[in-house]
Amino acid sequence: MEDPSSRTAHDGPPGQVARGGSKSGGPAAHGGPPGQAARGGSNSGGPAAHGGPPGQAARGGSDSETDVTREIKTHFRVCRFIMESGVKLGMRSVPVATACELYHRFFECVSLRVYEPYLVAMSCVYLAGKVEEQHLRTRDIINVSHRYFHNASAPLECDREFWELRDSVVQCELLILRQLDFHVSFRHPHKYLLHYLMSVKALVNRHAWTRTPVAETAWALLRDCYHGVMCIHHAPQHIAIATLYLALNSYGVEMPVGEREWWQVLCEDVTKEDINAVISDLLQLYDMEAKCV
Amino acid sequence: MDRDLLRQCLTHHGESLFNTLQCEQTENPDFQAVASDLAKATYERRGAGEGCSLVEQFIARKADILFCPTWRTAVPREDELEDEEATEPYAIMPPAELFMEVPFEERRAMLYRDLERGDAVVGRINNIREYGFFLTLLCAAGGLRRDIEDLELSALCHIKEIPSTGSHDDPLSYYQIGDLIRGGVKDLDRYQEKITVSLLPASLCPRLAHIKLGVVAREELPKHYSRGLRVANDTRETYERILRGCHGYHNPSVVEYLLGRAGVSDDRPPSLMRGLQSKHFHEEDFATVIRKKQSASWALKCVRSGVDHFKHGRHVEAMNEYNKALEIDTNNVEALVARGALYANKGGMMKAISDFELGLETCPDHRNAKKYLCQTLVERGKQLQEQEKFVTAEGLYRRALSLDDSYPEAQAALRRITDTIQKSIRLREEATAKETEKAKSGKTSAQKLRKILKDEKRMKKKRKRSSSSSSSSSSSSERPSLSPTSTTSSRRRSKKRRRKRGGSERGSQRRRRRSSKRSEEEEEEEEYPAPPNTSASFLYRQGFLGSGAGRGEGGEEGGEEEEEVVVDDRRISQLYSLSAASEDEGSEPRGGDGEGRRGRSFSSHGKGGRRRSRRGSSSESSAAREQGKARRRSGEGRRRSRGRSREEGRSSEEGRGRSREEGRRRSRGRSSEEGRSRGRSREEGRRRSRGRSSEEGRSSEEGRSSEEGRGRSREEGRRRSRGRSREEGRSSEEGRGRSREEGRSRGRSREDGRRRSTDEGRRRRKASPSSVESQRSRKSTVAAERPPACRRSSSGSLGQPAPPPAAPPPAAPRRTSLDGGRSQSRPGRGAELRGGEGPRAPPPSTSTSSSNGQGGVARPPQPAGGGAGKKGLPANLMDIFNKIAKFEKEKGAGPRK
Repeated sequence: MEDPSSRTAHDGPPGQVARGGSKSGGPAAHGGPPGQAARGGSNSGGPAAHGGPPGQAARGGSDSETDVTREIKTHFRVCRFIMESGVKLGMRSVPVATACELYHRFFECVSLRVYEPYLVAMSCVYLAGKVEEQHLRTRDIINVSHRYFHNASAPLECDREFWELRDSVVQCELLILRQLDFHVSFRHPHKYLLHYLMSVKALVNRHAWTRTPVAETAWALLRDCYHGVMCIHHAPQHIAIATLYLALNSYGVEMPVGEREWWQVLCEDVTKEDINAVISDLLQLYDMEAKCV
Repeated sequence: MDRDLLRQCLTHHGESLFNTLQCEQTENPDFQAVASDLAKATYERRGAGEGCSLVEQFIARKADILFCPTWRTAVPREDELEDEEATEPYAIMPPAELFMEVPFEERRAMLYRDLERGDAVVGRINNIREYGFFLTLLCAAGGLRRDIEDLELSALCHIKEIPSTGSHDDPLSYYQIGDLIRGGVKDLDRYQEKITVSLLPASLCPRLAHIKLGVVAREELPKHYSRGLRVANDTRETYERILRGCHGYHNPSVVEYLLGRAGVSDDRPPSLMRGLQSKHFHEEDFATVIRKKQSASWALKCVRSGVDHFKHGRHVEAMNEYNKALEIDTNNVEALVARGALYANKGGMMKAISDFELGLETCPDHRNAKKYLCQTLVERGKQLQEQEKFVTAEGLYRRALSLDDSYPEAQAALRRITDTIQKSIRLREEATAKETEKAKSGKTSAQKLRKILKDEKRMKKKRKRSSSSSSSSSSSSERPSLSPTSTTSSRRRSKKRRRKRGGSERGSQRRRRRSSKRSEEEEEEEEYPAPPNTSASFLYRQGFLGSGAGRGEGGEEGGEEEEEVVVDDRRISQLYSLSAASEDEGSEPRGGDGEGRRGRSFSSHGKGGRRRSRRGSSSESSAAREQGKARRRSGEGRRRSRGRSREEGRSSEEGRGRSREEGRRRSRGRSSEEGRSRGRSREEGRRRSRGRSSEEGRSSEEGRSSEEGRGRSREEGRRRSRGRSREEGRSSEEGRGRSREEGRSRGRSREDGRRRSTDEGRRRRKASPSSVESQRSRKSTVAAERPPACRRSSSGSLGQPAPPPAAPPPAAPRRTSLDGGRSQSRPGRGAELRGGEGPRAPPPSTSTSSSNGQGGVARPPQPAGGGAGKKGLPANLMDIFNKIAKFEKEKGAGPRK
């Protein structure tokens, strides 16, 4: 991971795009004190473009929290923003997952203080649409985002502000691409999970299966995973198995027991510890929701 | 909350979960409702693990979502698609228990638990008995994917369950030990562990109905089985390796496919996050909705600037803006309305209407759209009305009223047009009725006539092509066609007409239109002192006049009995003239065409030459006329052969031209008169006819036996009468003294005289009674006297519905002139053509004197008495005509001399 500041300095234009491109963050973006200034700048100073949801503004003052938790919370919120936008944009689950993963991977190597996360998120959504063959229009993305930040406001006029925002999104997309070295296609757990579901379903009595909403629950858990960075810290198979495991466990579905557990069969290298790790990460995210929103 | 599900969960997790649940869901009334129920059972903890407390807490916290009945949205698609095996849209994996190495007993128990009637299984025949054969089951082929090969399951397939092949052989003879058989599970005894299978398709459950039962090849075995075999044979094979090796795994849309199979929605994806519950998503936050809104406002902006352009007269820019707006937002009401308004402003009524209608489609309550559409519809309706497309126009008015039933303009217009239409319909009905009446009349020379007519038409067309149209006459000149109806002739011709249908139909239609227009004008006229009784439409009037002329002539002088021969002759001659006329009419086009035609007659004189010709060339023309007359008169003294004689007279081109001029002159002269007389007759006729509508109707029917016929006959009649009257007039000039016909003829002669000395005529006209008609006629004459160009305009303005009262009179002169010209020229041509066929030519009836001719003309009605319907009419008509004549005389006498 590169030093974000050097990277920014080196890159010049993209760095500007990230913060200054939106023309909202103002000077606070680059030079300000770590964390606070950046956030504060974008929140209070940012006009329409990406002022951030209300919750974010309060964060500047909470000194008690560590940087890490604050960042995690920010990411959670931004991911929530991506998810909500995804639903409003009619994105499928996989592109949304890609967008989140793009976002997490981007901020894995770049400081949150340097780039405006919501702008990055918008660009991630845009880029994910391209990567996953579900093209989205920047106009829609901007519209949905604008409405997300300015609740129930009228849609943006097609004026300068709109076009500047659009330019920011597009340039930020380039920035992300460069930052990730164009490694933008990921293996997601979705495919695994669905195949596992098919196999597990065959093990269970069909009537018991239809009675139990395992598929929905597992799918929901998988989608919710992307609120955090677990999607890049765990193998996709593990995540798939963990979500399926949790789903089955939640409903107390009894699985046949042989020499090996069903999850052992589905993925050779997964251990109970892996599953538990994923599950605990996931459950933390649910706890996080209560704290963040 | 789903109690069963919750119980299942509690059974799995034990007491601790229940306690956590009670803590976490205290405020959930749903849980409280089931809690007591659940509390009774005792739960022993089975699934122990490290993360359990966390998981239990999670379950407890999310219980309201997890166990909510609405959470289970998935509707798994159970039916396996037919081609799923072949195309493998997802990785078809071998049964997981194969890898799990589940103990034999458990697997067997699971199978008997889960196998169901209707599933498909594959087995190998191991024993054949006379009552059937036994299978060792290899795998499940549908419904259940289990590894059953080593479970030593035996299934019986009874002989009854084997479909017979049609021959009477033992069905079992087709099967051998070792054959692979696919069958449906027919019955299952879980306690005795007995399975019976069937080869009848009905044994399968409906969703598997596509599976073919019977002997299968090894390659046809299900994929999960063959892959399972690979696993069994190679211990290194793992689930994941097989998965990756599967074609379906790499299907780019495998996620969507499997989601669909699992029944999970990706549009409204499930989430256990509180903030992502679908109830938190509002429709108006979705991209499509926002986009629509944004587009609308953007488009509105464009419309606004477009309106601005429009206000400053920059119509092109405005249009561009509107189009841009519509590009942004295809159905933007404001843009559509604005563009429609612009179109309407530019005269593109249809485009405007379609824009308004589009706008109203998306926004049915848009006030401006409605208003503008109403206005435009009425406007367009008026246009159509001018083009005599009444039905369409009426439709537009109605539509306008349906949008705004209090729109006065539309109401008025509709009222007017319905009257018009009703009238024309009535006329048509009458005409058809009459035609049926007349159906019987025979005519001999029909064929020849037709031929002649055709030729004539051709010639006319040629002429027309070459001549420039003097526009003035069109609307008005159409009119004459209807006027005098010669009943006889029409009757005569009915058969012929029928044969001729094709050709004449066009004309008839046109005439219909014309007639309706006429009546419409009539309506408008009614605002004038003219008798309020509308039913006597112009048509009637004209019919009256015409028939009156014809009949009256006959009727009055009815005393002078003429032999049938004469009548026939006359009829024939009429026929000729008629057919000529009708052709003329037929080819008389809507609008320009007609003008052209008519114009043709004038063309020789050129614009402005008219008057000149009338006046200046009066001598010449009169000479010609004289000539023609002379010829006519001398010409065997055919009464009605006038037309013929005319033709003859005009046989030479000059003669024609002259005659045309003459005709025009005459017509012009007459026009005033006619106008007057018509007006009068109209009034009277109307009054009378109103009273006697039935008779009148009949008469009109007669006149209009067929529409074409009507027009033709009327024209003919008119022409005839005119011609006759002309002749008469001429003759009568010499010695006129016949009743009212004379009056008319006198009038005509007067005209003639006037023609010769227009001033006099004018004077006369001016002097003529100040009745509206006379005024009108004066106007018309004035118009007629103006050089064509201005005349045109005047006539145009007059002729248009706008100044309704003026309309009819101007028409008259022109018409007459045309008529005259036409009737003269055409019959002439006809005669020429006919020349060869000569003998047929209506043998110039011997009734030499013009007066005779009149008598002859007059007669038809009486002889026509043969036609039942006619009988009644003539009397009435004669009455009317008498009155008219008297009236005319009275009025005419003064001014005239």
